[in-house]
Amino acid sequence: MPEGGVFRSRDADLEAIELMTTLNPAQPSAQTSPFAAWRTRDILLAAVIGVVFGVVFAIWNGIYYGLQLAKPLPDALYGMWLVPAVLAPLLIRRPGAAVFAEMVAAGVSTLFGSPWGPDTLLSGFVQGAAAELVFAMAGYQRWSLPVLSVAAIASALGAFVHDWAIYYADVATDVQLLRLALMAVSAVVFAAFGSLAIERSLGRSGVLRGRSA
Amino acid sequence: MTAGILIPDVGPIQRASVLGRVNPLVKLGIALAWLVGMGLTLDVRPPLILTLITLIAGLQLGGIAPTALARRIAPLWLAVLGIVLANLVFSAHNPDPLATELFRMGPLRVTQEAVDAAAGLGARVLSIISVGAVFALTTDATFLIDSLVQLGRVSPRFAYGTLAAYQAVPKLADDLGTLRATRRLRGLREWHPRLIVGMLVRAIRHADQLAIAMDARGFGSGPRSTYRPVRWQPLDAVVAIAALAILVAALVVSR
Repeated sequence: MPEGGVFRSRDADLEAIELMTTLNPAQPSAQTSPFAAWRTRDILLAAVIGVVFGVVFAIWNGIYYGLQLAKPLPDALYGMWLVPAVLAPLLIRRPGAAVFAEMVAAGVSTLFGSPWGPDTLLSGFVQGAAAELVFAMAGYQRWSLPVLSVAAIASALGAFVHDWAIYYADVATDVQLLRLALMAVSAVVFAAFGSLAIERSLGRSGVLRGRSA
Repeated sequence: MTAGILIPDVGPIQRASVLGRVNPLVKLGIALAWLVGMGLTLDVRPPLILTLITLIAGLQLGGIAPTALARRIAPLWLAVLGIVLANLVFSAHNPDPLATELFRMGPLRVTQEAVDAAAGLGARVLSIISVGAVFALTTDATFLIDSLVQLGRVSPRFAYGTLAAYQAVPKLADDLGTLRATRRLRGLREWHPRLIVGMLVRAIRHADQLAIAMDARGFGSGPRSTYRPVRWQPLDAVVAIAALAILVAALVVSR
């Protein structure tokens, strides 16, 4: 796609409207929650990332439980479930994006028939909150590959603890640690490298133009 | 449907049923309480009792057609199998010389303790699957979001923003079809990881346009009125108390 390409005129419109909404902020000013600073645009972007990945999760669930006989190797696919917790903050760069996008994805996946049912929401919260913690410690300022990787691994760690308690309570510790290693590597590949690659591609497509990030 | 995704099919019958009228937050609360309760035991009976009650309630009180419920649950059996196998084969009890050996298969030693734990965890997954299926097949997404805002005090901007994004799912499915058709036309294989980028480009465009349309109508700019008021009803209390009683009974029975 040529830089500027076919999307230029519509982007110019978007930027003009963005300018107007910035001059006339639509947020309720009394709120002090971290979510008060979010523009409608940011909310919709995070929500739509959650929805798209909720649908991806539904497909991924099928692949994952189709491979169950090879346990614990399918856990090398685990990172896909952690992508929204890294991708949404990377694109939006506001506090709460990891938890919000991961929860939306989990909710959509629940409605679409996840085998883990409402427990998916619990998983989503744990995975999103763990990544959120890392981004908060980085002050929502640093978005390098190492920071994304640490966030992805933290998210995998949260998921690992949750899964141990709910699903693998009787599994021997060495196999648990093998699962953790697979999940961590997978998280870095899918959530950290994957999110960066997606961000670059989206940047080239021009769809992110007019965003502060 | 593209890729065999099960679009949640909550029809008027399910919406008008007892479980359809119970507040979704109550159902979520029950699901979490049951999940925590099942986390307290490795006995196989409590989760099986809950599974049975959930399925009967889904059919009788939720108005779910037996075929729809079966279709929903059928592929999820593999998840039960995976959890059972993982806990059976890799059980911490298997190498324990004090544990009762059942049989050996090559290097694999399977003990009675491992079988018991694996059965309990498999039954736990079964109960989670059943609750998830009945929840999804009786819960209207709009009712859920309305309840989150009006009763759960979730920020309306985030809740309705999510609902707006969720309602784009059929459009996203169409987009996926278009993108795959384009790849086919170019002689590429239809499924490729890069499809996700195309999906996201279309989805983000859509999100930006929705955001502008919503801002233009003053979305989130002041106090809002409600078009569909949601209140707690006596039915919610009845169902919540019944569900807790069932949980306690199931846990007591196993003692």
